[in-house]
Amino acid sequence: MNEESRNWKKTLGAIADSFGQPLVAVLISLLLGAVVIMICGENVFTAYGAMIRGAFGNEFYLNDTLKRATPIIMGGLAVCIAWRSGYEAMGGEGQMILGAFCSALVAYYLPLPGFVRLLLAMLAAVVVGAAYSALSAWLYDKFEVTFIISTLMLNYIANYFASYMTNFVVKDPEALDINAVQTGKIAAEAQLSAITPGSVHWGFVLALVAVLIAYFVFKKTTFGYKSRMGGLNAKFALYGGINARRMLYIVLLISGALAGLGGAFEALGSKYRYIDQMIFTTGYAWSGMVAALLANFNPIGTAVASILLAGLSTGGSAMQRSTIIPVEVCNMIEGIITLLMSVKLLRIAQRNHKARKVLREG
Amino acid sequence: MGIEYLASVFNTILRQTAPILLVALCAGVCSKVKVFNIALEGTLLTSAFFAFLTQYFLRNILLSVLVAMGVAMLLTFIMSFFIVKLNGQPMIVGMAINTFSLGFTTFMLSMIFDTKGTVTITGENAGLPKIALPVIKDIPVLSTMFTNLTAIDYAAFLLAIVMYIIMYKTVIGFRLRAIGINQSAASSLGINVARNQIIATTLSGAMIGLAGCLLSLGSVTLFIQNISSARGYVALAANNLCQGHPIGALLSSLLFGFTQALARVLQNTAIKQQLLECIPYIATIAAMAVYNAIARRRAKAAKL
Amino acid sequence: MIFEMKDIVKTYGPVVANNNVSLHLNRGEILAIVGENGAGKSTIMKILYGLVRPDSGEIYVNGKKMRFRTPSDAMAAGIGMVQQHFMLFEEMTVAENIVFKNEIHRGPFMDMNKTVETVRALSDKYQLKIDPTARISECPVGLRQRVEILKILYQNAEIIIFDEPSAVLTPLEVDALLETMRQLAAAGKSIVVITHKLQEVMAVSDRVYVMRQGEVVAERKTADTNIEELAFLMVGRQIVNRVIQPVHAEKTLLETKDLRLTEDGREVLKGIDIHVDAGEIVGIAGVSGNGQSELINCITGLTPVTGGQVLVQGQDVTNRSVRAIRDAGLAHIPEDRYVWGSAPEGTLEENALMGRQDSEPFSRRGLTNHGRIREYARKLIADFAVKASSPTQKMRELSGGNAQKLIVAREMSLDTPVLICCEPTRGIDIGAMEAIHDRMVKKRDSGAAVLLVSSELTEIMSLSDRIYVIYEGRINGEFKRDSMDDKALGLLMVGGAVNHE
Repeated sequence: MNEESRNWKKTLGAIADSFGQPLVAVLISLLLGAVVIMICGENVFTAYGAMIRGAFGNEFYLNDTLKRATPIIMGGLAVCIAWRSGYEAMGGEGQMILGAFCSALVAYYLPLPGFVRLLLAMLAAVVVGAAYSALSAWLYDKFEVTFIISTLMLNYIANYFASYMTNFVVKDPEALDINAVQTGKIAAEAQLSAITPGSVHWGFVLALVAVLIAYFVFKKTTFGYKSRMGGLNAKFALYGGINARRMLYIVLLISGALAGLGGAFEALGSKYRYIDQMIFTTGYAWSGMVAALLANFNPIGTAVASILLAGLSTGGSAMQRSTIIPVEVCNMIEGIITLLMSVKLLRIAQRNHKARKVLREG
Repeated sequence: MGIEYLASVFNTILRQTAPILLVALCAGVCSKVKVFNIALEGTLLTSAFFAFLTQYFLRNILLSVLVAMGVAMLLTFIMSFFIVKLNGQPMIVGMAINTFSLGFTTFMLSMIFDTKGTVTITGENAGLPKIALPVIKDIPVLSTMFTNLTAIDYAAFLLAIVMYIIMYKTVIGFRLRAIGINQSAASSLGINVARNQIIATTLSGAMIGLAGCLLSLGSVTLFIQNISSARGYVALAANNLCQGHPIGALLSSLLFGFTQALARVLQNTAIKQQLLECIPYIATIAAMAVYNAIARRRAKAAKL
Repeated sequence: MIFEMKDIVKTYGPVVANNNVSLHLNRGEILAIVGENGAGKSTIMKILYGLVRPDSGEIYVNGKKMRFRTPSDAMAAGIGMVQQHFMLFEEMTVAENIVFKNEIHRGPFMDMNKTVETVRALSDKYQLKIDPTARISECPVGLRQRVEILKILYQNAEIIIFDEPSAVLTPLEVDALLETMRQLAAAGKSIVVITHKLQEVMAVSDRVYVMRQGEVVAERKTADTNIEELAFLMVGRQIVNRVIQPVHAEKTLLETKDLRLTEDGREVLKGIDIHVDAGEIVGIAGVSGNGQSELINCITGLTPVTGGQVLVQGQDVTNRSVRAIRDAGLAHIPEDRYVWGSAPEGTLEENALMGRQDSEPFSRRGLTNHGRIREYARKLIADFAVKASSPTQKMRELSGGNAQKLIVAREMSLDTPVLICCEPTRGIDIGAMEAIHDRMVKKRDSGAAVLLVSSELTEIMSLSDRIYVIYEGRINGEFKRDSMDDKALGLLMVGGAVNHE
């Protein structure tokens, strides 16, 4: 084999590695979804047709999908930065809840001009998200409480806390429905407005900007190098003079800020208030995690995957409207995608192939 | 009030402890053979659902328990197969199963019962039969302490001892612990490590099935979305505190059972429900932090 | 003849590890297989033990043709191996380790009393003294090896393979080991010992195979040969003893004063005073686990010290950050290349950059300069003759020796006045080893202070201008190049005292 063709094969292999597996995972999951749809007695093509139309079919649906994608992208970025640095934190949900909640309060209550209120609201979300994330970093640093336990518990605490506040302290005084557990509606001038009437809000654009910044930081900065080395081999990073503790806090602060901001985008640009359980039930943070995994922590890939997963979800709602299939089938599909992404499927297939070849020839 | 009240609190603690303990025991086996299982939560949720489903339609409690155990073992098998055989990243495998389980149970709930809210079983023999202990049931305070407990509640505490004997006194347990300590040493002596890991974790998964039965067919006979509400993770924390030792799991689960019970006992006070719900989660973090701090101080003290 | 291998061939990709190797073993004999690292000894041994399957060739045990698929097959055929890296369960007792897989039980339960008794009887029978109830984690290396041997005897092995058995032992322990081998052979066991230590071969074996580049190049009766001949056969050329010019030491570049470390209640370092001057290589000799790793970690800032001082170029850097200590003029080749020394999943570029991530021209105002980094990586690869296909290759794709060369290249190119080398040549082939040694001497000649930690006594003795002997966290003696004496060194390494006149 000559040099050129070997290089060619290598490149192909690299492409297959980065795109092949997500594709295979998504396809298998959709196939299993199809089986479920059939078991429910629905036509697969009708159901998936409704899903695709409901996700990307017209401008209205597309905007809906992008709106939903916004917090998912932010949650995904939060996971990207933390996980690639070696910290398997899953606190995006709690940070998002507090970000959404605090930004909704700031934007509703502060007696300041609209635009200032909007900026302060986003700033509040950044600060609160970062602080909450730093709390788990501190627990890890000081007490060696593992991230999995601290972040998951903190998620629940954040949700109950916001729920308590919304129920008893800052409940919308003007609510028409007495049972609506939500904060007051943010005035139009303090909202993240739509780019053009009826389209997705500016939060989506900001999320894309965050994606580009993250991509740049990962690829082109010393910080990106240091965090990646910390993720690949923490001891090696320590040995090379990288301050692990400092990286821990910086990384977790940024991760929390991103997630918090994602919550703010949802509150300021989509719901215009905090509604009890609005982050918890939608599973934005978890979808973000799946997106980041699908993209192997590449920010741009994460954005693409986030939009697809958002489409899966908005499409799922459309499917729920026109068939008997409940939208949760999408969570199942998401779970299966994640499971399939947990292993390096293609590499295993390749290795097995090689092993068999060796045995045959040996 | 008074002593009767305390007895009823004790009773609540026992009932809250049992499911956590069962899951923690499974987590203990998994950690002893070095399979990091965080699919506990989803496994617990799904098995609770299937226990409920079987009981709802067939009204056969034994079958319901068996189905729950089977489902839990199946999910645990998938978990360990992906981790051990396919080299999947444990964290992601676990989260995948948890995400799937939440989606799946809600999906089934709305497909079968056409609701995303609560479904209950009513009537006689709806759930697990309560066991009245012969002599104790006639003694005032003691009877309150042990009232309304099912066979699985008792089994949970018994299993802690049984698991201790299996893991520390038998040949099987000896080999499993050895595998966890040094996999390559075990395989260098011709032990099939992967097979042992998968079988041990899968069998221990049955205990999660029992815990699932307690959630949906125990003191209440209903199923509601996310009925496990992080008990799987709490059990993980409990196991973390005791490093996989079954008797230690009994103690740490009692601690967490106590915090869960606290949230229930304070229900009729002025403190709002939402804040009470936080107690177990805050307690879990606090317990981990305090435990680690003490462990570290002890290491330091040993220096002097 | 109890055992025979015929025409064994084993290749790994383009590398031929074993080329038509044939050898046999007689009952009650001690057979040595010698060769340099990479000569194919370890492959032969792995094939023998069923860890690796040969591409072609045949294996006979007691005249019967065998096919080993796993170590279990080899064990069933009566073959046991004492591995270089012990395969023990740290947190379990000696007895538990010995009976593992053939446990003594009553029903499903372990019968611990009988287990301890049986193990004690076994240890008495072969005069291998151990305490069956001690935990492995409390046993020194020599005892652990004894446990490994007992484990094999417990399985009734007839053929016992020793893989580099003396690598981790002190001279005294080595003597005990050789005695054990003789006893086992006298008891009718057949023994294969794989080693590159020729004195031991001469002392204990009956017959020797010499391997070089995957082939058996010679077979000798031990009585008919000598060390010089074997060495010549092994290397294929005359070995030149490295000539090191004595230097006049001027300035102290690295110094520790009363360095102390307590870990988990254990005093690991008990007041270490050493100094390394400009233009000298100073070796630290000692049995591994006597505080060498901790000493280096304290000097380099990876572990905070409990007391004392570390001075680099006269500057007090005690308990400063790794960054600050490196900036004070120190580079460090770490003892384990994959644990501390590299990120195996990272590219060569990324691995080459480590340590300079904050310095120009590779980084400016927080931005990395990829062009410069690649150029630099290429330069390191070329200068140190690292066999690699491209700077964007992953570190784990390199062979051990090449990975080590890249790490050495990285640290030496930092051009610091102080260089710390820990096990710089562990487990790499002789070519890479010589290249690295040359660089170390060059570095010293350029006026740098080099601190060398190695468990290979020969490496330390051939390179060092001065040697400190470390024992249980203390410096137990010091030698100058002209007064080195391996007997005295060995005695000091195990805590003995030597009278200095």
